[in-house]
Amino acid sequence: MDRKELEAKVLELVAISYDRDAAELSTATSFKEDLQGASIQMVALVAEIENELDAFIQLQDAAGCTTVGDLVDLVEEEL
Amino acid sequence: MGMLEKIYEKAKQNPVKVAFPEASNEKMMQAAYETGKEGYIIPVLVGPEEELRLLAGERGYDPSVFTYADTQDEARKNAVIANYVALPDTRLKEKALARRMENPLYFAMAMQKTGEVGVTFAGIDNTTGDVLLAGQMMIGLMPGISTVSSIGICDIPGFEGGEDGLLAIGDSAVCTNPTARQLADIAISACETVESLLGWDARCAMVSYSTLGSGQGELVDKVVDAVRIAKEERPDLAIDGEFQFDAAVNPAVAAKKVKRESAVAGRANVVIWPDLNVGNVGVKLIQQFGHADAYGPMLQGFDGVICDCSRGAPVSEIKGNIIISAVRAAGLAKGKQS
Repeated sequence: MDRKELEAKVLELVAISYDRDAAELSTATSFKEDLQGASIQMVALVAEIENELDAFIQLQDAAGCTTVGDLVDLVEEEL
Repeated sequence: MGMLEKIYEKAKQNPVKVAFPEASNEKMMQAAYETGKEGYIIPVLVGPEEELRLLAGERGYDPSVFTYADTQDEARKNAVIANYVALPDTRLKEKALARRMENPLYFAMAMQKTGEVGVTFAGIDNTTGDVLLAGQMMIGLMPGISTVSSIGICDIPGFEGGEDGLLAIGDSAVCTNPTARQLADIAISACETVESLLGWDARCAMVSYSTLGSGQGELVDKVVDAVRIAKEERPDLAIDGEFQFDAAVNPAVAAKKVKRESAVAGRANVVIWPDLNVGNVGVKLIQQFGHADAYGPMLQGFDGVICDCSRGAPVSEIKGNIIISAVRAAGLAKGKQS
């Protein structure tokens, strides 16, 4: 999976976990400022990533990501 | 009989299985052993069984007290996985779950979710963050609740209000600056917690520096919104505000300041702080000037009972928290059945 495909997949999973339209998301989207999600949504997202991409991410590391792009970096490191 | 004695009695009447994923820790194993030996709970040690049995023997414990969930027993693990993934609304699929369950904390929580144990008790080796995140992933939150929070129970000498002199307060430990939505969740969860643990009919006041519009500002607005949300979500619960603290707990003050019907004003047994600044200072004031014993914090909001004990806690405190958690779990199970 190349970087573009990975970004698209992560964005799709962010959209599902945060109940947003994928079209309004980008790698610059901020979890805190734009999505204003609770930690339960980040937990759901990490579970989706583990299930769908087979990448094992520490929840604390995911919680430390500012943007969707940061999370893509994290997933890329694990794959 | 004091609050703790009543809770201890309840625990003995219906000992709950409690999973200990940090059982190799000496203090944790001692607390699990003593609460098991004294008949309050059925301790289930989660980890490599052979190693744990050896440690228990070296420490001189009666082997009949413990039961084990061997994390290295593949057949056992696969059975837990099969039961877990068959449940509705669980997040992880087989492969991801198997990987997570290499950590005994996740193994224990998978057992809890599938009903093998009533409580997961951890926090002495894992951080609070580890326990909270694992709980959200494996156990999930109560339906309609979007945040984990905590409450404590204060036994305040000379206080005649609350519930026979006891007052539940929250959140003084977890949610730093809750939104109105989160504040409503904290109030709803607190009502559920005192009902499952103590059998109270909650009268829950959401406090502020204003009583029903006597003050204005965004800090008040948040509490007003939280009361509205909580009432909309759970009209069956007695949640009311915004009240100043004295109007919440003192009937004479409530009579002067609250000029409408309220089942809560002046007789609240649960008080919800607007944020952690207030919560932390509030509990310290109650302890320092009210000379109160404060029990907790107890985590709430999960769809089950998870306890995160303090890493520096002595064995006596760990034991108390184990027993309180077990009674909450028994109360919760009873509530779900009815």
